[in-house]
Amino acid sequence: MADKRTMTLNLTDAEMAALEQLCERKELTKTALIRQALRLYQAIDVRLAAGERLVFEDLRGKKKSEVMVL
Amino acid sequence: MDRPFEVQRRHDLEWVPAVMRVGLGEQDLEEIERSWRGGRQILRNALRAANVPRDKWPQSLHWNWEHKSSDLQLLETHACGIRIEGRWEAVVMTKVASYTARLAEQQGKPLVYVDYLEVAPWNWRIHELAQQGEYRGLGSVLFREAVQLSKDEQFHGRVGLHALAQAESFYRDVCGMTDLGPDGAKQNLRYFEFLPSQADSYLKDGGES
Repeated sequence: MADKRTMTLNLTDAEMAALEQLCERKELTKTALIRQALRLYQAIDVRLAAGERLVFEDLRGKKKSEVMVL
Repeated sequence: MDRPFEVQRRHDLEWVPAVMRVGLGEQDLEEIERSWRGGRQILRNALRAANVPRDKWPQSLHWNWEHKSSDLQLLETHACGIRIEGRWEAVVMTKVASYTARLAEQQGKPLVYVDYLEVAPWNWRIHELAQQGEYRGLGSVLFREAVQLSKDEQFHGRVGLHALAQAESFYRDVCGMTDLGPDGAKQNLRYFEFLPSQADSYLKDGGES
């Protein structure tokens, strides 16, 4: 397994609350969830850089909206 | 990293040493495709010579692991493969962030998505050519790796995949996955998923074909 390094993450109360809520919904530890978020951000970023768009589709209303990712 | 284990050779049922190599890189996938390219062409030629209808040809015959290798630049993508006597015999590529569970009981929870799984052309069972394949159970071994990865990632064994039509019965009947039906967003390939309980049963039962 690749060597791991440790970092400290400072979060606001709102951010920590969101993190804990996501952890409960996804059944992940905080570390696992942050790692997932990083993986997802990278995967999205690569595709945006390649000229693709990230779109959410409302299957009920059949509406689509573009997600802006910086 | 290499992990030794044994596989069974079909023609004499002898158990031979094999190695599971995890954490494959782009060069590994390129090497795999180079080593399988000739086998793919031999099969194409044999299928044509035997007048096998195109819809009966192996559905991964056109795959190219060189074309998939750049996906390994992403954190979420993993690949591992099986080597026997210095030759690549099977490979699987998985993703751990882009897909979430669809089964109602687990909806939205993370899972390991099996993006591609293939055994070497000489391991394919092709009835029309009376080819039985050299080694047994390689696909099962790799699928088991995906389930274990799901456990290691704290996804509790959740696995999802879209199956080629020729592989549907393997995932449904051998692995015991739940068939959620054709997915219009993926060329109508049928989507299969494991609940944690199904994954536990699979691992407990040995997960062999």
